[in-house]
Amino acid sequence: QRTPPGEHMLTYATPYPPSHPFSRADITWMKWVEEKSHGRLRIRPYWAGSLLSSDMSMAEIRHGVADIGLITPIYTRGSVHLLRVQSGFYGGVRTIDDQVKIYDCLQARFPEIGREMDGLVTLAVQGGNFPGVLTRGKPIRSLEDFRGLRLRAPTENNEILQALGTDPVNMPMAEVYSALAKGIIDGVVAPADTIKSLHFNEVAKSFSSIRFSRGAYPARAISEKTFRRLPPDLQRILLASRRVWEAALETELLKAEAAGIAFGQEKGIQVAPMPPAQQVRFDALYNKFALDQARRLKSLDIEAVPVFDEAQRLVANPASAARCAAASL
Amino acid sequence: MGKPNPVADRPPPPQGPLARAAFLVGGAGLLIATLIDSLAVLGRHTGFAFLGSIEIVQSAVVLAASGAIIVATLARSHAAVHILTDRLSPAAAGRLAHIAAALAAIVFLCMAIGSGWLMVEGWGGHERTELLHIPFRWLRLIWTLAAALVAVLFLIQPWRRRGA
Amino acid sequence: MSGLIGLLGIFCLLGLLTLGVPIGAALGFVGLGGLALMISPEAAIIKLGVISFETVSRYELGVLPLFLLMAHLCFAAGASRDFFDAAARFIGHKRGGLALASIGGCAGFGAISGSSLATVATIGSVALPEMRRAGYKPGFAAGALAAGGTLGSLVPPSGALIVFGIIAEQSIGKLFAASIIPGISQALFYMATIAILCAFRPEFGPPAARATWPERRAAFRRIVDVLCLILFVIGGLMIGWFTPTEAASVGVICATLLWIFRGGFTLAGFGEALGSTLRTSGMIYVVVIGAILFAAFISVTGLADQAARVVTDLHASPTLAILAMAVILLVLGSFLDGLALMLLTTPIFLPIAVSLHMSPVWFGIFIVRTMEIGFVHPPLGLNVYVIQGIAKDISLGTIFRGVAPFLVADFLHLGLLIAFPALSLWLPGMTAG
Ligand code: NA
Ligand code: NA
Repeated sequence: QRTPPGEHMLTYATPYPPSHPFSRADITWMKWVEEKSHGRLRIRPYWAGSLLSSDMSMAEIRHGVADIGLITPIYTRGSVHLLRVQSGFYGGVRTIDDQVKIYDCLQARFPEIGREMDGLVTLAVQGGNFPGVLTRGKPIRSLEDFRGLRLRAPTENNEILQALGTDPVNMPMAEVYSALAKGIIDGVVAPADTIKSLHFNEVAKSFSSIRFSRGAYPARAISEKTFRRLPPDLQRILLASRRVWEAALETELLKAEAAGIAFGQEKGIQVAPMPPAQQVRFDALYNKFALDQARRLKSLDIEAVPVFDEAQRLVANPASAARCAAASL
Repeated sequence: MGKPNPVADRPPPPQGPLARAAFLVGGAGLLIATLIDSLAVLGRHTGFAFLGSIEIVQSAVVLAASGAIIVATLARSHAAVHILTDRLSPAAAGRLAHIAAALAAIVFLCMAIGSGWLMVEGWGGHERTELLHIPFRWLRLIWTLAAALVAVLFLIQPWRRRGA
Repeated sequence: MSGLIGLLGIFCLLGLLTLGVPIGAALGFVGLGGLALMISPEAAIIKLGVISFETVSRYELGVLPLFLLMAHLCFAAGASRDFFDAAARFIGHKRGGLALASIGGCAGFGAISGSSLATVATIGSVALPEMRRAGYKPGFAAGALAAGGTLGSLVPPSGALIVFGIIAEQSIGKLFAASIIPGISQALFYMATIAILCAFRPEFGPPAARATWPERRAAFRRIVDVLCLILFVIGGLMIGWFTPTEAASVGVICATLLWIFRGGFTLAGFGEALGSTLRTSGMIYVVVIGAILFAAFISVTGLADQAARVVTDLHASPTLAILAMAVILLVLGSFLDGLALMLLTTPIFLPIAVSLHMSPVWFGIFIVRTMEIGFVHPPLGLNVYVIQGIAKDISLGTIFRGVAPFLVADFLHLGLLIAFPALSLWLPGMTAG
């Protein structure tokens, strides 16, 4: 596609369809960038595409398969161990906004985190809704209720679930619906938006909103090579677009969660809040295993314990996180 | 027409050390995958969780697929359309076969370069599975070598006699 | 503009295929060239590197060689002969009874085998000689077998549905459940065709000698073990005892045990089954890698979006769009191998189907069912060539003429599946996956 002089066309690739909450945020960002640059910087999206893979997208963007793309360091098996593990250091965090700010502080304080993004320029850091537990049977109201359940969960939650007497199962998300229907598993650790998006209301009875803490990580990036080729004013617009993108992501994530809960309640899903005392016990256990994981990174010569300590300090002082995040831009 | 290779039609399997090695690697991959998956099922129904079985099967599948593609190339059982080539003189068909093999070699060479490139970039990055920490770089190496080998096989194939 | 490059890519692909370039290599070559042109050579090579390793390290795709191995082992254990024998003892004395029996044998073996070609080859090598001994018209006998073999790629396990499930990101268990009613009704359509043909032309399939009840019981006893294996593997998969990959592994273990208990197991024979499995799966892996790269290229050109827009702009009814797709599939299917055809068209057709609010699961059944017809229709129905390989004295023309009535049944059945999607979607809804 030929672009008129003075115009720059960048491609953006995401594995999600345009209707997905992530993609709606992406569209908000695209419009902002095109408007701010008076049409000089235009983005051509590839939705739901086979253009970027899920676990190699960082390498693909570095090699120019797409100029900008959705990246998921938490699914990447190599080279980003600190980025991945740090997303488990946010035990007790309260909001998506706090997640993003804490990440900013950590990245400013520990250059080794930024080094894992070599060759890429971060365009948005993304937090996420807190997974709860969708179950076929009665809701979980205390840590003791976990005992004996067989739950599909992300691998990083295996240890805490086992400590609670749960049998964690690893299966592709696409098989979860039928596994729930057939009773192969008793439940799934997933955020509330999946009640609607994956039709879990048809196969589960209750959603226990115990918060599996989670952190933020860089989720949209442009390759440094492409970035350098842009004129300085467009580079500045892209860097400034970061806050727009992050805010749009947060809005869409919260909307999806609220929609999931409303949909679930309308369809008869029992939504059970977790008693605060139980949540505190859960967070403490969560942090114990997160610290273990941080210690184990030593075997790869990665010092993660200071990152964990700093993350926990910031979780306890959101005001301090807000200050250093503002300073880091 | 695609060249069918159904059960009843069994050309003599290619011999030689390379064919044997590819068969052993691929066969071992298939059998490991079978055993581990079956153990995982058995475990699930008798109450011991075999966490990480998927990771072992995934690694075994790399061996199986790498071996399988080499075996298929040696046996010349890659599906192709013969609507035109069957109606040409042997000489013309032979020239087309050369071109076809050269194109296939280019594709596999690019495959080897691409996988090798990614392997080299990630060599020191400790790419590994989550639970059992199976190192992926060795799997990438196996696949890269297999792709390179297939490229070479396609290059020399027109000069080798069938089944040789 | 870029849609045009996509069209050009498709023409290049068809050209390379006609020149005899292996299907996987042709797909890969056009995909590479196209991506290099539209993005950059570096991006194209990296993309191929990513896709190829992702494909060979894919847990879900491992199910394919394992189901193939299970079929090879069952074949080595004599299961295919026993299936046909049992059916022949029960209905062989009726008009066209042996042909009915071979449809039954194909459906039974199809429940072990993931492929149409393997099914027609195994049942054909057993049933064709028997039908000819009984004085069946060669064209009719061969036609029934060629058509019956296509049951192998619809009745679960189905290699084509596994691959479709992976490209379309659909649950393989759901797809298998969806294919059961279409598979059974397809077999019934063939049986009706045979009954009608033999009612008007009794000389097509003269009755064979009536088997005695002890003979029937003996023949049935010989397939009880294989029936149990099928019930266990496919049933366990439906109920949820195991996932599709696990089902295939359990099936391999059971088929090996079955072979050992039946006698005749040798390590050399086992190695031979392993070798055949590797050859076929190696071929499939290469086609899958090529097709995924090609699909990435097509998605960059935006061709599928444009085609979908044309369909919506024309306000074409979904049925019309489906019929148009069926025609394209049938035309391409006359010279393309079925799996390659599916891999080639899914990335283009599926987004259109989804934009017309069709269920991806239904679409998978539709595309596999249509592709199957390509296995028997001239000029290049692969099954016909397999039959001819078994019986060299029957001319291709004779076989294609014999297939013709079954093609009519195929089109009626396809129409039925299009008119009533519930035939495919009811069962997966019932078992919820
Ligand atoms: Na089948
Ligand atoms: Na065909």
